[in-house]
Amino acid sequence: MSLSLGEEQEELRLLVRTFLDDKATSHRPPPPGTGPQKYDGGLWRQLSGQLGLTGLAVPERFGGAGLGPAELGVVLEEMGRALFPSPFFATAVLAGQTVTHCGDEAAMERWLPDIVSGALTATLATAEPDGSWAADPPATVADRGRDGWVLSGTKTYVVDGHTADLLLVTARCPDGVGLFGVPATAPGLTRTVLDALDPTRPLARIRLGATPASRIGTGDASESLAAVRDLVRAALAAEQVGGAAACLDMAVGHAKTREQFGRPIGSFQAIKHKCAQLLVEVECARSAARFAGSVVGSPGTEAAIAAAVARSYCSEAFTHAAKENIQIHGGIGFTWEHRAHLYLRRAKSSELLFGTPREERARLARLTMSEGAAP
Amino acid sequence: MTTASALPRTPEPLDVFRSRLRDFLTGHGPGRRPRDPEERFAWTRAWQATLFDHGFAGPSWPEEYGGMDLPFAHQVVYQEELARARVPGPVGTGLGIAAPTIIKYGTDEQRRRWLPSMLRGDTVWAQGYSEPEAGSDLPGLRTTARRDGDTYVVNGQKVWTSHAARADVFFTLVRTGTRASRQRGITYLVVDAHAPGVDVRPLRDLTGGHLFAEVFFDDVRVPVADRVGEENGGWPLVRTSLGHERAAGAMNQAATYRRVLGELRQLLAERGALEDTEVRDRMADFEIRARIMHYNGQRTISDILTHGEPGPVSSVSRLHISQFEQDIHEFAVDVLGPAGLLGPGSEEAVQRGRWLYGFLRTRASTIGAGTAEIQRNTLAEQVLGLPRDPGMPSV
Ligand SMILES: Cc1cc2nc3c(=O)[nH]c(=O)nc-3n(C[C@H](O)[C@H](O)[C@H](O)COP(=O)(O)OP(=O)(O)OC[C@H]3O[C@@H](n4cnc5c(N)ncnc54)[C@H](O)[C@@H]3O)c2cc1C
Repeated sequence: MSLSLGEEQEELRLLVRTFLDDKATSHRPPPPGTGPQKYDGGLWRQLSGQLGLTGLAVPERFGGAGLGPAELGVVLEEMGRALFPSPFFATAVLAGQTVTHCGDEAAMERWLPDIVSGALTATLATAEPDGSWAADPPATVADRGRDGWVLSGTKTYVVDGHTADLLLVTARCPDGVGLFGVPATAPGLTRTVLDALDPTRPLARIRLGATPASRIGTGDASESLAAVRDLVRAALAAEQVGGAAACLDMAVGHAKTREQFGRPIGSFQAIKHKCAQLLVEVECARSAARFAGSVVGSPGTEAAIAAAVARSYCSEAFTHAAKENIQIHGGIGFTWEHRAHLYLRRAKSSELLFGTPREERARLARLTMSEGAAP
Repeated sequence: MTTASALPRTPEPLDVFRSRLRDFLTGHGPGRRPRDPEERFAWTRAWQATLFDHGFAGPSWPEEYGGMDLPFAHQVVYQEELARARVPGPVGTGLGIAAPTIIKYGTDEQRRRWLPSMLRGDTVWAQGYSEPEAGSDLPGLRTTARRDGDTYVVNGQKVWTSHAARADVFFTLVRTGTRASRQRGITYLVVDAHAPGVDVRPLRDLTGGHLFAEVFFDDVRVPVADRVGEENGGWPLVRTSLGHERAAGAMNQAATYRRVLGELRQLLAERGALEDTEVRDRMADFEIRARIMHYNGQRTISDILTHGEPGPVSSVSRLHISQFEQDIHEFAVDVLGPAGLLGPGSEEAVQRGRWLYGFLRTRASTIGAGTAEIQRNTLAEQVLGLPRDPGMPSV
């Protein structure tokens, strides 16, 4: 198994890097209290339809490139680096991977081509007010009404939930956890933007009141959702690596140019050692995310283990890098105008959404420390 | 010598090589590791000779000096199989540190004279670089070598010399220039440990053992023929590495530590400590770091196979490993509580005090072979390109 980028992956990385460098010009943080940052619809169409990024990990028969989590990781590392505000993570990763792995051909047929083209934005709504994104069984209930399924309950911490065209919702069914597709315009559905820490990754609360929904797949979806969660973990870990690397780059860049006491602050050992420690963590995080990207999606516990390893380590590495970056910038790093705090916001929110490091370690302990687990 | 195992010219398919090596290791394994230090030393040495005699020593060395001259992918397999068989590593620091320098900068005569006996374990080599006044700042070293016809006369003191008590040869750095010449006045000299005027005084290290010694040189006469490289040209030779041999072994340490972690998990399970949430959290964290050690090794290897270079991850691996090995041993001692404080002299000691010993021994992980602080300086300046401290002498 190679953990180095192959030639084509390197090309993909360059393509995304160039695109983001060109297009994603200075994202000034929106003024405080004005809600989440808006994404640029034109850029969205370019990166989906034109560059094909939303279809990277979608099977070719639905217009995708048929690639996998490793390539998705390459793209997300770059997006994480640029802190690019876009519905990519929600649409291509959360929703795209859920549909791709749901085993329901009709659902794939119905939604994947539009995800690939960029015509449809989507997200996955699993978390409920208790905060766990793996709520099992969900408190949201699905009832079979006269004209099909209707959902009632509250989903929250839904990424891009206020803008997505399609919501994939988990709910309790008589036969286990059911997965449903709900158009944002469905009756009885209300959505509210949350006043969340990270303006570049908006969150929303979704209320469903006897909202009609179409069931995806049959029977209990717990298992396929668990596999999707590992894909999401690996992708998010890659994004965190990009964010951490960007913080290290910014810190080093500033340390080389900012002078105090007649010399660059980067010549002071206290600053050097902070940067060196971040380098250790960024490279270790990258190894973990690459490995996770190379095994998730394949059956067996190795995928779950690798995803937990990557999420726990990359979460802490990113948050650490974001904090040190602010410290190394001094006063300017504490201003709203400087982007340093956006990385801290993204880092902390990525750390706590989708399973905290502590939860990931508890999961890992279950996977590796039970009787008979391989050493 | 068995001729059957001589290496074919075109590289063997990897799986063929692996099974040939595995057969050898099963058939000729060194047997149980003796407890007694003297016996263990003899045992380690005998194993080195067995490897050599069967053509399984020096994976990256040229064949003419008894090596195997393996392609990199084969070296990885070699290291994997040796780690799997849990055979002892070489004695002394010659193979890892001196040999690459001699292979690259030595004369033909020197290579023929020194390398095969070093590789077979017939001569034990030890590294005499550090001095009382020159540790991290090696260019400040003071041991002098004065030229007298075709010999050098060496005077001075080395310290922290690992394996010195058993050494036959010291590879040293000595001052041939003025004191102020720093790294421009340093010569690489190979000194016979049995020569008159060489005095080795064992030091007790903090574990209570004898990991290292002091070495005194009092008018020791060293033939000019035993100088490697030019006079005053020793400094650039110091950091020579042999291809990517070290990277090929990068996963062994990870394999070792995953085993150690498994053993700790077993011990804690037996003592019921794994029920504790905090303990489980810490153990999971070690699991993560040990696995990352493995991925780092794997990534270094695939970087070499893909790009020909080990890439940035190889430069951070050592710091990651040394932090890990210190933390895991200390954690084990902490969890064991008072029972963790007992050494092999007490029958109540847990596993003969291995965790306690590890806790003490790994203090050296961030000191020997360049301290953690010096490594961070190096990463910051050489990998990240941060400016030098203007107060530091330039190297
Ligand atoms: C177990 C063991 C085995 C060893 N084996 C050998 C051997 O076989 N051969 C050999 O030659 N040597 C050997 N050494 C010596 C080792 O290389 C030195 O101990 C090491 O280089 C540090 O030098 P020092 O002990 O003089 O400490 P010092 O250099 O005095 O360092 C003391 C402290 O100051 C810090 N410091 C020093 N300079 C700086 C700086 N510029 N910036 C920040 N911090 C700094 C160090 O990091 C350290 O924390 C061994 C050491 C140990 C512990």
